[in-house]
Amino acid sequence: MAYISKMEELSRRAFLRRSRQVAMAGTAGSFAMGLAGIGEAAAFNAGGDDDYKALVCVFLYGGNDHNSTFVPYDPVNYNLYSAIRGGGAGQTAGGLTPARASLEATALTPSDGQTLTNNLQYALSPQLPRLKTLFTDKVMAPLLNVGPLVTPLTLAEYQNNSKLRPAKLFSHNDQQSTWQSSDPEGSSIGWGGRMGDLAMSSNGTNALFTCISATGNAVFLAGQKALVYQVAPNGAPAVDGLLRPLFDSTKGSEALLKLMTQTSTNIFENEYNKVALRSIGAQGVVNGALSRTTLHRTFQSPPNLNPLADQLKVVARLIAARQELGVKRQVFMVSLAGFDTHDNQLATHAQLMGRLDFALDAFYRETVDLGVANKVTTFTASDFGRTLKSNGDGTDHGWGSHHMIIGGAVNGGRYFGVAPQISVNSNDQVGSGRLLPGISVDQYSATLASWFGVSTDELKSIAPNIGRFTANLGFMK
Amino acid sequence: MTQAVFPVDIKGISERDALDEATNGSEGEGTRRSRAIYALPAASFLTAGCDLNPFVGQASAATLAPPAMNGIGQLPLANPVTPSTVDVISVSPPTVPVTPPLTDVTSAPVPAVPVTSTPASPTKVEPAPVTPAPSSSSNVAVPSPTVSVPVPAVDVTAIPAVLSPLVPALNPASLLPSNPPPSNELPAASGRPATATEAAQFILKASLSVNEQEIGDLQSTSYGEWLVKQLNMPIQEKGQQWMDARKYNSVTADEYFYQKALSDFMVWHQMMNSPDAVRKKIAFALSEFFVVSSTGMDIHWTSNAMTYYWDLLNHHAFGNFRDLLEAITLCPVMGVYLSMLGNKKEDEATGRVPDENFAREIMQLFTIGLYKLNNDGTLWLEGGKPVETYTNDDITNLARVFTGYNYDFTDNGKTPMVRTPPFVPPVLFNNVDYVYKPMTSEPQNWEKKQATSEHSLKEKRFLKTVIPENTGATKSLGDALDALFNHPNVGPFFCKQMIQRLITSNPSPAYVNRVASVFNRNSSGARGDLRAVFKAILLDVEAISPSNAGTPTSGKLREPALRLTQWGRTFGATSQSGKWAIPPLMDPATSLSQSPLRAPSVFNFFRPGYVPPNTQIATNGFVAPEFQLVSEVSIAGYVNFMASVIRGQMTDTSFDVTAPYTNELAIAHNSEALLDRLCLLLAANQISARTKTIIKDALDSSTVVATSHNNTKLKRIHMAILLVMASPDYLVQK
Repeated sequence: MAYISKMEELSRRAFLRRSRQVAMAGTAGSFAMGLAGIGEAAAFNAGGDDDYKALVCVFLYGGNDHNSTFVPYDPVNYNLYSAIRGGGAGQTAGGLTPARASLEATALTPSDGQTLTNNLQYALSPQLPRLKTLFTDKVMAPLLNVGPLVTPLTLAEYQNNSKLRPAKLFSHNDQQSTWQSSDPEGSSIGWGGRMGDLAMSSNGTNALFTCISATGNAVFLAGQKALVYQVAPNGAPAVDGLLRPLFDSTKGSEALLKLMTQTSTNIFENEYNKVALRSIGAQGVVNGALSRTTLHRTFQSPPNLNPLADQLKVVARLIAARQELGVKRQVFMVSLAGFDTHDNQLATHAQLMGRLDFALDAFYRETVDLGVANKVTTFTASDFGRTLKSNGDGTDHGWGSHHMIIGGAVNGGRYFGVAPQISVNSNDQVGSGRLLPGISVDQYSATLASWFGVSTDELKSIAPNIGRFTANLGFMK
Repeated sequence: MTQAVFPVDIKGISERDALDEATNGSEGEGTRRSRAIYALPAASFLTAGCDLNPFVGQASAATLAPPAMNGIGQLPLANPVTPSTVDVISVSPPTVPVTPPLTDVTSAPVPAVPVTSTPASPTKVEPAPVTPAPSSSSNVAVPSPTVSVPVPAVDVTAIPAVLSPLVPALNPASLLPSNPPPSNELPAASGRPATATEAAQFILKASLSVNEQEIGDLQSTSYGEWLVKQLNMPIQEKGQQWMDARKYNSVTADEYFYQKALSDFMVWHQMMNSPDAVRKKIAFALSEFFVVSSTGMDIHWTSNAMTYYWDLLNHHAFGNFRDLLEAITLCPVMGVYLSMLGNKKEDEATGRVPDENFAREIMQLFTIGLYKLNNDGTLWLEGGKPVETYTNDDITNLARVFTGYNYDFTDNGKTPMVRTPPFVPPVLFNNVDYVYKPMTSEPQNWEKKQATSEHSLKEKRFLKTVIPENTGATKSLGDALDALFNHPNVGPFFCKQMIQRLITSNPSPAYVNRVASVFNRNSSGARGDLRAVFKAILLDVEAISPSNAGTPTSGKLREPALRLTQWGRTFGATSQSGKWAIPPLMDPATSLSQSPLRAPSVFNFFRPGYVPPNTQIATNGFVAPEFQLVSEVSIAGYVNFMASVIRGQMTDTSFDVTAPYTNELAIAHNSEALLDRLCLLLAANQISARTKTIIKDALDSSTVVATSHNNTKLKRIHMAILLVMASPDYLVQK
């Protein structure tokens, strides 16, 4: 692969010397990381003084119960929902159903008088008041019943297996991977990474910072060439023993550096050290740039821990540092875990919604204050939706789900996609209310990619099945 | 359960505040610290020719403060578990004919011999009769002559079909791990290591650490004999005994029933101290297959419940897979983790259906996996395509089997909680007993007794098994577990992952086939003999042959938790307080990204098929499961954490596990002897000459003589250990 051979041509010492000089000069302008000039696609270039776009994927690990995120609020559909999910008499709470009255404050009214299936009106979870405001302010758009599809599929076609369908449906790890990369576990290139491949040249010599994960390894951000650069919530950890003498010995530090960055004929050793080299080489630049940024809010809502807010905070700081980091196109990934609500769903899901509401709102408002609200688009994804049927105190693995896109460039305040019927027998579900997706992840990714700057010709490399679907869902301006 | 993300439960608010200051404001503590560092060592680094960027923003080491605890109690130990089988010592033959996959699953009682019918559909593998592994009644292991094995077709289906235009062209030949070595490279007929290096190499795969005594013992016997001795070693102290001895099973003012870190302490103590280290290594591997995690667990007595689970893994590690499967299924903590506990039969009136969680994961993760497999672990193909093992209808049906179970509260007493004012009067609290025994389907034994069972009596039709309607809970469960156990996928699915945990990330199909064949049928014809399976794994030529270590694609990244374990055992670490207060070590930025019994989800810390993107590993078509934990963040976190641990100066003062380095102090003045010792014991001398030179030069940069102060010697020792453990040579076990 081009990247590896380039990388191996580099003198490590020269590289490290360069990164030191860069840090000493207080700028990342010439921070190369060996990636210069390898982007083959045309640079995305919108011109202007602050040409910048970022996509932020918020992955809800475990399979978010979309039915508790978007709850029917109009009386007819609420009653259908309540009957399936164990609601109490007189539209009171029961089973997995919230009291109808508790939904009033978060009921959504589309700005353009849009009507949904069977005149359905949704309310957001009562724990999502801030996101309701973003909907009202037309910077949040729900995308209804989206999920992995190879080709448009009817219930009959699903049942008689007459058309291709995604492999390993309903399995956590495989559907996470399918959402992120169009293929089950084992896949090694995700659509965030593919966008990174195409965008790398826009970032010139700082292409390492194209795809950044604040949440560990995930295939979403891995490209053919684009690497997943990882940060912790507080930035890039440094190796202490390289910042100060290791056990009081500068010779010790020198040896540690050599050991951690030497090459090896064993491929595992060699790849481990390549990551070490990136870690050591980049952390000073990243932390230096981060230290000179100022945010407008804390991203903290004590006493609650909110790992999503922690991650989005460092993403916001990186965006604030975009010019110093020398980047114009970035794809980020953050996540929140705990959505596999087979049991104790009411309490668990409510807590997660609270974290989601706080974190997404804080992040959006920070982008407003940073003056990049129109340049940063945040979107949710998850393993799958869940059953409409209850298993007593929880729900099981589904397929299609509802998601949200947030940002100044979003055609917010209205829905995209077709609302499913509130039913466990209708032809838009495959049993127990597992939704048969009406919109493919390919359409979701292609619409985001088009906004990001990917040309129509290149969409297929982001969304391999897009040829069988409408390529743009219209939720981006 | 949910997939890997950074854990949230070990970061305290105070740390977060400090980090925010450090990273946000210009006057935070972290920033001040950075300035000081910038001012001090930068010049010396530069003059030393060391190209570094002196800016800091990293966090300090793990900071969870474990709760205060009482001292050690004095409870008698229960009878240790002793192995009941007699061992036949043998080194596995290098080749065994490929066992054909089975096409039929029945609910019949455990068959002793797998069916060997010709597959109904065309596959790449020729059916062949099952050949029992040769055995010897003597203590001399006799390797079979090398036989040509029909190599199954390369699995190219693992390449994403729709993204295949994007995937670099793969040379199919490169997908195959290196062939087994020719017969002249097999261990000597005695099955005895030729050198201390070879002995250490073997022991470090089978066990958690190695010392000179063990090397000597192995050199004076044989691989097989040494291993059998380890397998026969009884469990000296169960985790439960260790917990109970500290009164962690008692309802006291310390409120142990709320303390989730106690099982962390327990398991670290077991890993770092137990003499039956081979069993512990394998129990840890099993804990990464039948995953339960205390992270996210929210019950009373979580630590005790986790301890019972850990003890079950140890108890059954060398027993039968079927028994282990049932024990794990009924283990309360598994019931909580995958929500089988309290799972109820369908209710037509409300539309409630059984919870599918456990039914799905027992098939996907604990027994058969998603796709039909050949016995060598490669995909069974029909029409060139893989075949899914089950549908969602199978899951919906199997879910009925796992209904109607709850905690067994038979004779479970209550104790008044000791509470300080204003929390009065005392509240009666359930004693611990119910988490130390299997769940029960007898509703009169539940905490909330009831007359009727919650077990579904509907027909359960899954895979090719039919459990007729009106079959009760116990028989349904037994029949279902039998059916899963007898599925032909179990051997290759389970054995390949155990090989990955113990030996290598990319075993050859022939190796998997040899081990899976032992799973299918041990020397007595029995299926699922784990003792025989682990012997087959560890004594296989692909595990033992020293020539394999030099292959560029051999080995596996050592798991971070096993690195810390090895440090503790190798250097005789002890806990001053006796608490073994090692907190969860999941945070990649400040510790290990891994902590026993703390996986982020039922999918473990990493997936067996993980391919690190954009690497030569991916290009060559290999997997590297442990690389799922490798990142720019975790690499720095590991080195920083180990530096603190090695030096015995953890920021978290409750981390009181320290090593005396007694043996190392005696030779610290001789840098060569010190380094030789560390290279042998930590890495079985798999340290390159170049790496050794780098380390030795650093050690020799300061003067240490026999009469030097211990603190001077310790500095050299600390540095030597850290440099070895940070070197890629050590990190990849070959």
